[in-house]
Amino acid sequence: MESKEKILSCLNILKRLPPTQIQKNATALASLIPDYAEELYQKIDKPLDIGQDEKGNQFIQSEFNRDGDSFRSHLTNQYYPSIDDAVYPSEALRKLELKANAVFEEYRRLYYEGGLSSCYFWDKEDGGFATAWLIRKNVEKSKGIEDGSWSSINVIDIKTDGKSKWTYKITTSVVLEMNIIQNQDVGKFNITGTLTKQKEESYEAPAGNKDLELFHIMKIGTLVEDVESYLRSQLDSVYFGKTKDIVFQTRFNEGEKHFIQQRQGLAGEFKQKYG
Amino acid sequence: MNQGEEEVTELQQYEKVVKYIVKNTPFGQANLVIKDLCKIIGNINPQHPIMLQALRDHNEEHLALIKGQNTQILTSVLNSQEDFYVDQKNNETIQVDHEKLEIISRSQVELPSDPELNTLRDALEQQLNLYLSQQFNDKVCGAYVMYQGDVTDYTFYLGITAKTINLPNFFCGSWISTWEFTKTQLKGDLKVQAHYYEDGNVQLKNVNTFSEGINVDLSAASESAKQIVHTISKLENKHQAGMDNLYNSMPDIFFKAMRRPLPITGTKMNWNENVHKLVANLKQ
Repeated sequence: MESKEKILSCLNILKRLPPTQIQKNATALASLIPDYAEELYQKIDKPLDIGQDEKGNQFIQSEFNRDGDSFRSHLTNQYYPSIDDAVYPSEALRKLELKANAVFEEYRRLYYEGGLSSCYFWDKEDGGFATAWLIRKNVEKSKGIEDGSWSSINVIDIKTDGKSKWTYKITTSVVLEMNIIQNQDVGKFNITGTLTKQKEESYEAPAGNKDLELFHIMKIGTLVEDVESYLRSQLDSVYFGKTKDIVFQTRFNEGEKHFIQQRQGLAGEFKQKYG
Repeated sequence: MNQGEEEVTELQQYEKVVKYIVKNTPFGQANLVIKDLCKIIGNINPQHPIMLQALRDHNEEHLALIKGQNTQILTSVLNSQEDFYVDQKNNETIQVDHEKLEIISRSQVELPSDPELNTLRDALEQQLNLYLSQQFNDKVCGAYVMYQGDVTDYTFYLGITAKTINLPNFFCGSWISTWEFTKTQLKGDLKVQAHYYEDGNVQLKNVNTFSEGINVDLSAASESAKQIVHTISKLENKHQAGMDNLYNSMPDIFFKAMRRPLPITGTKMNWNENVHKLVANLKQ
């Protein structure tokens, strides 16, 4: 109980601190509660890292394929660096993982036209399973942008009622970073941040559980597509719209304050008369 | 090692973390962060010297506006003394409550001053207040003017601070600029921050520096003050216009390079078809 409250307080604080420093902030807070540090790290959304296997093939590193300091690749099902006694998905889930990765790669190609994707699956104690569908994309220096990155973290919990009903609960976070090329007009300019969205859907499995694996991939994929699309448009308005609104009501553009005050005055008069 | 010493080391460790966390908290949320830090650490409260010191550093870093009856003062590293702030203009030392952002007490003192520099300071203050009223959020904004030296060799320090704090709607913002000038040179630092945290945490961090030649004439203080504040407002307007341009052009460039709203076909992915086709390929 105590650990839950302390972790909640840490997450409250992390929500307020600059997301550019998320790793440093999390490490600082974790040092206050060393016993719960692991638990805290698992709950933090940060830009995804990329690792590679012995052949140089890349895969995404995250909390969902980590064991100690090693990360499992969905390509080889091996940990890098290699470790003993690591956790692997069951054989059935590993099969599903391979299929999901093939399909998700197509999804990434269609929407991202680049970047890197990885899906990881793991078994749950309650008989269900869970999976993380991850995408990392970098933006190269161009048109005023120094650098930027997009990390999509889709985590889906899958449960069955033991008969034919399956419930999919998705939690998606997108972490965005953007640095503008430093210039005289605006100096150094960075926007970084995360938005999160949850959604839950239940479906009846096909009769006789025919093609159940494909059914799972389809349902999960559709959820990922919906929630990512929603977050993309939210990010568009929050990232640029909201942060601009906030600045431009702290300091007004030349001549604009007078204009806005007049307008507010008029709205106030109307409200008094007709409101 | 006895128990007392151990405690000190642990406290020192806490202190480092608390200092770092509170310092980096956006203005308007420090009290909430301190509350949470107390919950995390346990057996410590917001009145503990570690927390008070961290809050004080935070308020000085963000040029917090401290209000009293008919008066206000900005806290900054420039006017910070052991446990009070110096109000150069009114020859006062002021004690403040950093949690409530209120003045506790004020005492009259005799500070070194120069009548000619005083005249310029008062004129600058007048001009700055006019500028604030024209372009900044009235609810929370303020400025300071301080100087050191004498008529032969002086440096003036100006600070502007404006905040937007709207916690019920999960956002806050801050515009802080600090300036210093000598007879011929004006230099400035600007820090702009915006924080939106409903369903997430998105922050803008923007800094710029300025440098411009000026010509201060102490015998025409009112004219000089006008000219200096005009230069400041010109540079800040130019910066904000730059932000405006950036905000108009960036969304398209940036998001297009990230993730398309829809695939190039203009329709959503056909999962049914893709799943069957791709998984069939996989088996071969």
